[in-house]
Amino acid sequence: MAKIKVIKPEYPFMMGYQPWKFKKNIWKLFVISLTCFLALLFLGPYIYLILTALKPSSEAVSTPPSLWPSTFSLESFRGMIDYLPIGKFFFNSLIAAGVSMVLSLLLGSLGAYGLSRFSSSLGNVFLLFTLTIRMVPMISIAIPMYMIINHMGLIDTKLALILVYTSINVPFAIWLMIGFFDSIPREFDEAARVDGCSRVGAFFRIILPVSLPGLATTAIFTFMLAWNDFLFALLITSSESKTATVGISEFLTAYSLDMGPMTAAAISFSLPVMIFSFIVQKYIVSGMTLGAVKE
Amino acid sequence: MKLRNSGLSLMFFAPAGLFMMIFLLYPMLLLVRDSFYRIDILDPMSKEFVGLANYIEALSSNRFLQSAFNTVIYIVTAVGIEFILGLILALLLSTAFRGSQFIRTLLLSPLMIAPLVSGLIWKFMLNDQFGIINWVLYKLRIISDPHQIMWLSDPSLALISTIIADVWLTTPFMMLVLLAGIQGIPKTMYESAQIDGASKWQTFKYVTFPSLIPVATVALLIRIIDAARTFDIVWVLTQGGPGFSSEVLSTYMYKVLTRYGQAGEASAMAVIFIIILLTISSFFIVKVMSPNQNKA
Repeated sequence: MAKIKVIKPEYPFMMGYQPWKFKKNIWKLFVISLTCFLALLFLGPYIYLILTALKPSSEAVSTPPSLWPSTFSLESFRGMIDYLPIGKFFFNSLIAAGVSMVLSLLLGSLGAYGLSRFSSSLGNVFLLFTLTIRMVPMISIAIPMYMIINHMGLIDTKLALILVYTSINVPFAIWLMIGFFDSIPREFDEAARVDGCSRVGAFFRIILPVSLPGLATTAIFTFMLAWNDFLFALLITSSESKTATVGISEFLTAYSLDMGPMTAAAISFSLPVMIFSFIVQKYIVSGMTLGAVKE
Repeated sequence: MKLRNSGLSLMFFAPAGLFMMIFLLYPMLLLVRDSFYRIDILDPMSKEFVGLANYIEALSSNRFLQSAFNTVIYIVTAVGIEFILGLILALLLSTAFRGSQFIRTLLLSPLMIAPLVSGLIWKFMLNDQFGIINWVLYKLRIISDPHQIMWLSDPSLALISTIIADVWLTTPFMMLVLLAGIQGIPKTMYESAQIDGASKWQTFKYVTFPSLIPVATVALLIRIIDAARTFDIVWVLTQGGPGFSSEVLSTYMYKVLTRYGQAGEASAMAVIFIIILLTISSFFIVKVMSPNQNKA
């Protein structure tokens, strides 16, 4: 896997530049301040969102807008709970994302193992199919999916969400897992077979535990796709199985002037994800740079 | 290694394959079939074969062409700005000053934020009544009235606003991939450039940039595909309005399906959309497939 290496305090981009020390320091100062400025520009909006959610509700939409809350208040969070059954929406999101994650991990890792170990020509055909699916715009999948789900009478059910998310995630899970399985030496399989494991046993007892980092990366990405999805949930759910994203977007239409609860809901939805992705950044980076950067 | 056995491969692949047949391949076939019918969602009995009429209708409709044009503007502008900003950030961070590792970690934390949340944040900040962007511009004396710029309700600005939200959300991805690319360039290349007495600009122009081209191509294509599919950000910020000024293909198809109930026409557009994207990305597939082909 492509990994970001720990950067040694050298100057790869600036190498070949040996001016007087003074000039070097000026350049360094310029680089650091520009980086900090850009970083602030990118983090600013999110910090502002957090600060707004902690303001009293009326202050969130005051003119002129304030940066810092005059007093810290959880009023917006209370408003969020009062207006909409947001707890239920979060629960629906969690179920849909969680179950589809487990399903796509199971189907995806089995499929990827098959392709990685026992076939090359077949593997490439399936891989091409998998990649093609990734290129298809979501809305194009959503239209026939909607027709099928409508036909099956599954509109507004969690089952429909789970099926949709799993079907989008399986090709992606296969794509990620093939890379991880390919990096595990085949001697592992053979050793397990010599010790009397069946093919399936070797997979579950030996290969899967060894590829835990790969599974973690795949789990994060498949879960996040479902958790962050808006289009399918908007199309398929209407009341009972509404997910958090659809719920949050409703603060805009139903209570368009009450931005406070909306910001509170957006924070409740995304802050756990932010903190989590902070902790597991290693896995996210390896998943995101896959395909773009060769090992 | 004598493990090659397509029967075994099929056994492991069967569950996933079956699932994808039912829930991906079949819907795709259904999509193509539906595109030749006139179907009213509200009246399922009204199915009628119309041949290529849906395609002709889509390609001759001004709104479809306008959405396609907006989508192209969106892709070119958003991905272009992201690439430049991402490259600048990657170059800055690659100088590895004290604390750069920390800033990189901070910058990467929005990677997993939902596009929806990005849309909400900017809807809030770009508001022409209490939005902070207009106030900052006002305080900086760039505009004379804090309510002057109607980011979301001015037809000439609505698309730009959605692009801003997209740039904010996805520049970290560009930075991440390009930084990984820069760090993958062998140090020896910089050393030889140094021996040859290359200036900083020359080093960038003749060493860093050419070595980055493969990585950059893939990153750009991933982002082009993603930007083409954009829905959440546009839907939350403007719903394609005012008028059709910020309508992109995804939002327009969504409306044709749900508001006008024309499943047949929506399907035809979806097929056209797929064909365009697959054409663009066939190049990408060839590029990404090659390392795996070597391994297999």
